[in-house]
Amino acid sequence: MATDADRDVDGIDEDAVSWSDPLPAVLLVGAVLVAGAYATSVLDTAAAHLVAGRRLRLGELVLGPWREAALLAHMRRSTTERPDVQTWALAPALLAGMAAVAVATVPLAPGVAVADVADGIVLFGAAMALVMVGVYLHGWSSNSVFPLVGGYRFVALALSYEMPLALVLIAAALPAESLSVGAIVESQQGLWNVVRQPLGLPLFLVAGMGLASWGPLGMSDGTDLAGGTSAESSGGARLVWALARRFVLVAVAVTGAAVFLGGWHGPVLAGGLWMALKTLVLLAVLVGVGHRVARIRLERFVVVAWAVLIPLALIDVFVSGALVL
Amino acid sequence: MGLLTSAASRAEVPVFPVVGAGGREAAEALWLLPGVRMVDTPRAAAVLVVIGRLTRALLQPVLLVHDQMPGPRATLWWPVDGRPADDGTDGDEGLLAALPDVVTTTAGDAAGLRAVFADLLAGRRPWGPPALADIESPRWRGVGPYGHGGEGMMGGVPYGRPFAEMAQDPDGLMLDQLPLQIGPLFPALPPGLVLHLGLQGDVIRGVTLGDNPYRSWPGDPPVGPLDSVPFLDARTSPTTVAALEVARARHHLRWLARTLRLHGLDARGRRIAALAGGLSATDRPAVEALARRLGRDRGLAGATAGVGVADQATLEPLGIELAGGPVARAAGVAIDARTDDPAYAGLDFEPVVHHGGDARARLRQRVAEAAQALALAERAGDAVRSPGPPVEGPRGPLAPGRTMPSSSLIHLLPTLLDGQEWGDAVTTVASLDLDLEEAAVDQSATAWPQTPTGTSTASTRTP
Repeated sequence: MATDADRDVDGIDEDAVSWSDPLPAVLLVGAVLVAGAYATSVLDTAAAHLVAGRRLRLGELVLGPWREAALLAHMRRSTTERPDVQTWALAPALLAGMAAVAVATVPLAPGVAVADVADGIVLFGAAMALVMVGVYLHGWSSNSVFPLVGGYRFVALALSYEMPLALVLIAAALPAESLSVGAIVESQQGLWNVVRQPLGLPLFLVAGMGLASWGPLGMSDGTDLAGGTSAESSGGARLVWALARRFVLVAVAVTGAAVFLGGWHGPVLAGGLWMALKTLVLLAVLVGVGHRVARIRLERFVVVAWAVLIPLALIDVFVSGALVL
Repeated sequence: MGLLTSAASRAEVPVFPVVGAGGREAAEALWLLPGVRMVDTPRAAAVLVVIGRLTRALLQPVLLVHDQMPGPRATLWWPVDGRPADDGTDGDEGLLAALPDVVTTTAGDAAGLRAVFADLLAGRRPWGPPALADIESPRWRGVGPYGHGGEGMMGGVPYGRPFAEMAQDPDGLMLDQLPLQIGPLFPALPPGLVLHLGLQGDVIRGVTLGDNPYRSWPGDPPVGPLDSVPFLDARTSPTTVAALEVARARHHLRWLARTLRLHGLDARGRRIAALAGGLSATDRPAVEALARRLGRDRGLAGATAGVGVADQATLEPLGIELAGGPVARAAGVAIDARTDDPAYAGLDFEPVVHHGGDARARLRQRVAEAAQALALAERAGDAVRSPGPPVEGPRGPLAPGRTMPSSSLIHLLPTLLDGQEWGDAVTTVASLDLDLEEAAVDQSATAWPQTPTGTSTASTRTP
């Protein structure tokens, strides 16, 4: 995913583990994604029980996600009439791959980054743009109506997610005078971007929620479409798709923690722990909103995105730019 | 049993419910069972639960759903009117013939459901082949009387699948339009609703109503018991006003819970469904607080405002405007059978009315009526309503010889759904609170409750 040539960050201790080597890189990104997906499921179960006012046993909370994963792995994969088998298998891999690229650009602690490249947030934006291809392929492949409609929906909305996402990231890059995620984290020593650019994080989370097709923006896989792009997925295929969507959510939370919540900066605790805590907080916010806010109408969201979110993101860029000058 | 299987058998049971005749009450319980999760698609389900009696027209769709479950799979049957499984009526017999391993358990029996699931995963319960034959679709034999039909590259039914045709979209462009049948078991629509429509992307064009699968033919058992049993009984026997009003509030809250689930708010829906299950007049403050919270809910307002507008002009030709009911009252028609009912004379009753006639107004209308109903129940004390005047049911007025409210409301669909996006269509259909079984009363050769059988369990329940 990244070679040594990609590394462009000053001040890294050359004696430390080289996280851009293939094995450490895969292990690190894999561990972040899997741990994040597990945390997402635990938070989701906890939020669902809290909102529903139901009692929750600790064992159910901790083991529930593993049990559900085991059940899906145990169940058979069914197929549809004349599906596009290759793209059906490829879609979750593409989604997970894009989430991995995004996580790779983020330093998880000082010097612990797989590919903290000079254009890190551009790479993140590019990876998030390709999420659209993964979701659409997933909807297309099963040769069935409701998955395809789910895919259409995502394509119709993707630009409305990506525009504000790109703009708030540019705004965050301005005070750092760099597109590297590491440099953006460095620039937040003393003042986090969430305070310096109060519009940034909320807009980023809305866009990120859309890209992960989660909660009120879970239109591609909604209940009203009998599951949307995953309406025909069963067994292991269903499991990998559910995982891939969570990976995207985790990538959004990790990046949000680094770009807006000061990354590893924080007192007492080690930098990596601060990153983990901040990521968990963002995941909790995303998951909590999913249980509180109704799914938004497609048409209404496009109007809101272009009439409100994008102008706000532009204001964010202009004000941030003016402050830097 | 391996570690994986052992872990899997402790997971929440993914269940796909099918609501047969008389099954609506018991279906409410399924959602609240511990350790059970209702899923959106048969592809995610391990257990199919058939609730109530299968009509002939539902048998084939149920078998299709069964075959779509990937396996390991099991089918549970919850009979609701206490009849034995093999009394030889209707689609039930067909179900038992096609799926010999159907397990019959008491409705709402969570332990039985979990036991079947655990046996299934442990390999102690074998699971069978598809119930329907895997038939090769008809070969394409060209355009013309023996081929797929259609014109050029469009239309017709090549390989047994209706093919897209060209049609004008709302913006005046000629675009593909795919003819489809949706239902009777589509999980986001009311059980039994069949729609024939064209889809341009996710925009609906040209809706016609399909056959009602709950409709019964001569020789069939009657439909029902319906979910509005307390109100139907009140037409012929004395009932306390409090019982009726609590039943009304429960009905509206259950509708609200299902609607929230469709809007992606499963957990909030469950909380309200649980409240509805044990509802009494003393829950009035909780329901009033709920009504205030929902009134302030911007997300829900955004999802429903301006969707499925059924104003007085739309309602009038169908006779709904003059009949009343929550849908009419949400469009500003202040008609309610309780206004002229002597039992409500001293209770200070004024019909609740909302304006706009959209899905949002109907949501607010029903929640407000639920809160009002509990207030009436509190004030009514032991007052008894005597039969005679029409009863205001949860969907509209009920009187002998009068069409059931769902029979009229269902005819709003072709007008309201045409040109809507799919998500809005689901919101619109949900907001009308249709019961296809209730609509079947007017279409059936034998109709409950005119005939005495089939009233056993639900009618004796006291709210």
